Amino acid sequence: MGTLLQALILGLLVGGVYALVASGMNLIFGVMQVVNLAQGGMLILSAYLTYTLWEATGLDPLLLVVITTPCLLVVGWATYYIFIERSRTTDASMALVTTFGLTLVTKGVIALIWGNEPRSVTPDYANRSFSVLGLRFPQAQVYACLVAAVVLTGLYLLLRHTWLGQSIRATASSSEGARLIGIQVRSTWAAAFALGVAAAGAGGSLLSVLYPFMPSSADHWIGLMLSIIVLGGMGSLPGSVLGAVVIALAESLTSTYVSPDWAAAVPYLAIILVLVARPQGLLGARLREDMSRA
Amino acid sequence: MPGFGRSGRYAALLSGTAAMLLVATACNSGSTPGSGSIKIGASLPLSGPVADASKPAYEGYKIWLDQVNAGGGLLGRKVELKVLDDGFDQNAVVANYNRLISQERSDLLLGTFSSKLNLPASSVAERNKMLYVEPSGGAEEIFTRGYNYLFFAQPSTSLDLPKQFVRYIGSLPADQRPKTAAYPTQDDPNTDVTINEFRKDLTQLGVKAVYSEKYAPDTVNFDSIASAIAGAKPDLVVHGAVAANDGAGLVKALQKQQFSPKMMFQTNAPSLLQSYPQAIGEKNTEGIFTSAAWSPNSDYPRNAEFVKAYTKAYGSPPSDDAANAYTAGQVLEAAVKAVGSLDQGKLADWLHSHTVQTIVGPLKWDKRGVPDGDMLLAQWQNGRFEFVLPDSQKTVQKAINPKPGWS
Repeated sequence: MGTLLQALILGLLVGGVYALVASGMNLIFGVMQVVNLAQGGMLILSAYLTYTLWEATGLDPLLLVVITTPCLLVVGWATYYIFIERSRTTDASMALVTTFGLTLVTKGVIALIWGNEPRSVTPDYANRSFSVLGLRFPQAQVYACLVAAVVLTGLYLLLRHTWLGQSIRATASSSEGARLIGIQVRSTWAAAFALGVAAAGAGGSLLSVLYPFMPSSADHWIGLMLSIIVLGGMGSLPGSVLGAVVIALAESLTSTYVSPDWAAAVPYLAIILVLVARPQGLLGARLREDMSRA
Repeated sequence: MPGFGRSGRYAALLSGTAAMLLVATACNSGSTPGSGSIKIGASLPLSGPVADASKPAYEGYKIWLDQVNAGGGLLGRKVELKVLDDGFDQNAVVANYNRLISQERSDLLLGTFSSKLNLPASSVAERNKMLYVEPSGGAEEIFTRGYNYLFFAQPSTSLDLPKQFVRYIGSLPADQRPKTAAYPTQDDPNTDVTINEFRKDLTQLGVKAVYSEKYAPDTVNFDSIASAIAGAKPDLVVHGAVAANDGAGLVKALQKQQFSPKMMFQTNAPSLLQSYPQAIGEKNTEGIFTSAAWSPNSDYPRNAEFVKAYTKAYGSPPSDDAANAYTAGQVLEAAVKAVGSLDQGKLADWLHSHTVQTIVGPLKWDKRGVPDGDMLLAQWQNGRFEFVLPDSQKTVQKAINPKPGWS
């Protein structure tokens, strides 16, 4: 029983971080139908920024989200206007290729600046755990999960209760309709893209404390993000959270009760199962093809 | 609930793009055929998950190349080295060696990094009847295919890697020996064999295996593995790590579980002198064992020159991977100089029947290309990479046992 509870605790704690990591990609996809493959690179870029800031200042790396998030917001904003907007005018596949190219460039730039060596951010609490009834709650995981919950709540409130959020949701629903009611669709797309990348900025800071990272780590995280949003439902923020928790729990339980060798395959198995059983994902809405373009 | 988009019909597009994650890039530059120069081709995973380990290998090749050219080259001709990046991808490494042979018209080949890549790359060389000296890749299955052109440039293969550590454990008084051990390992042709041998040999010494699992090469989250290990409470953890990334990943996860084994041995990762302490924190390296092919302090011919040249060129002392790459160059150089031509068959025949003096010691191979030497047992002590066994190579009086807890 203790083993099961421990596996569930580890899965739930990391699930919160997975949710934040995936939410930005889901936001971008939901609003623009752009699969932003550069999101993994942005995530790792933020992890390296956190590493540098932590080394230089000694500030708590989890609190550095207040610096990395706005930094990545600016990066996302610029990326949209310089690369994404142009490629979107052709077709979806061009934007996909563009973001894939951006991933390669980001990884290359990171390698040039920081090298190819793995890095870790190791604040004092990285080696500590809370112990409750014999169960371990790694402090880094607990704090990271709490920060992720705060950021996700902020994102939820922004989308739900602000003018910008309403603009984003209206544009996601119908860009033509949004334009007719006076919404600046172009800047809304840019804002949505920037917000999505900013979420990766926050996620990168959290990951830097939890796992070693190097430029190629970007590939792993893109795969995981795609799996989460396919499972949870494209365009659904709660879907991202649910998908993240399900995948994190599945990884943890598979590693504990089947084999760690199979845990890495869990996200990809999830994609296959979802496509067969519920293509819209757990919380995604299924729309008619002719309606969705209306 | 805020829904900010449409779904359903994009599922196929989105999930299909996941396949693109498997795409690796082989970056290279255009070749410039030198009129009278000897062209040597190699592929290395200069990007991807083991890039930190292959960079020193590339630098080791470069130091060897510079020294050879400074000495007049080979057969009176300047030597050129062309290295392509395979991103740690088996398809890319095969494409690279095919290109090096058929398009770049390489006169000689040098091997790549890791058993995973050397396994298919050596097949390309063998099919083309080209000498293939590999600086890394000690998995047993590489040498059981009856290849004639394949030679390993380390003192011994994965099968013999545990020997010195097992000898050390056997030398301990009974009350200081570990009673139980955990064996996590990456699913890799090299570490698989090594960890199996560890388990077999240590079990014979009475060390009971309490955890034994493989994990996938792209594993990032080691928390569940560490939790299971911590639950089993082994005295000794023998970890089949491939690079600093997974080596550090498990150490960090064990730290989060606040579990520090009394003894810890990791393959490969701890010998990455720069990236390993950086990844886990220098204080946490204390007492961790690993094996190594080479010592910077040994008095084998050209070793001191290699250490000096490397340190001058790159600002830090060479690692095991750099030394192994340099050794591979030395083997190639010795064969070409002795045979006096680039006839691949004659080069292979010469290596099968002669001993080559290298910086890892004298190397002599059997018909499979397996050398008959011994690896060294190393341990991190006071932030330095020290050698514990054999006695002839040791740089410290005794090994640290038990390992201190994580700092």
